[in-house]
Amino acid sequence: MTPQLEVGHTVFSTSYPVERADLARYADASGDRNPIHLDEAAAKAAGLPDVIAHGMYTMGLVSRAILEWLASAGVDARITEFSARFAKPVVVPVGGTAVAIEGKVRKVEGDTVEVAITAVSGGDKVLAPARATLTANRADA
Amino acid sequence: MLNTSYVGRSLPTTEPVTISAESVSRFARALGLPEDAQIPPTYLISLTLPAADPLIADPDFGLDWSRVLHREQRFAYRRELRPGESVSCAATVESIKTVAGNDLLVLRTDVIGDEGVAAEVWTTLFVAGDPQ
Repeated sequence: MTPQLEVGHTVFSTSYPVERADLARYADASGDRNPIHLDEAAAKAAGLPDVIAHGMYTMGLVSRAILEWLASAGVDARITEFSARFAKPVVVPVGGTAVAIEGKVRKVEGDTVEVAITAVSGGDKVLAPARATLTANRADA
Repeated sequence: MLNTSYVGRSLPTTEPVTISAESVSRFARALGLPEDAQIPPTYLISLTLPAADPLIADPDFGLDWSRVLHREQRFAYRRELRPGESVSCAATVESIKTVAGNDLLVLRTDVIGDEGVAAEVWTTLFVAGDPQ
């Protein structure tokens, strides 16, 4: 891969706004229409402070941050492993919120790079760091 | 509480479904990803979650969806899937751990395409126990 991929190096840092309309679009696209992601009353009845984002929506935003970084850095690689633990919910009030996402190189080994990714929303770390393994695409593939 | 005798049990492999370009671009659009590119990494969840439906419908298993929170997710991609490919899902109850009256359920789903397993997907669900 490219030489700037050193362990400990922050390779991307970005933030995405999240509104309830985004969650409705994601619910339609994914088929996960659990009302805690769409309806304030249902979320509160389930003991949540307000509507929360799908964990998979947040993980999807993490994949977006990775893919945007790969594209802007001109790194020809694909995600071969991807994991996340949803530590805290992303709470989405009427006015919306934001998720800040940052990726750091954790390991470089042969043609693979492991990136640890944090996501923060409303002052909380919402993921117990996500991990992605990127594998360089072979030139002859 | 979940029925722990289900650990190791595999659900019937789902009927193949074709990955439509429309569903892929809708998923990409919902995440702000470019629509012309590859299948979004997390797209597979839209295939693997329905594969677990028989477990939700099974009264002997005891999975109440209204008590479920998604706790953890992992994907291992063996090769890239493309729109137009047909895939089926084979889900297995990998483990059930009971912690303080709540259950942690790990489902492992193989996503099988035209040339065998394309991805392995692990979903950990937190299932809240009865309030004391």
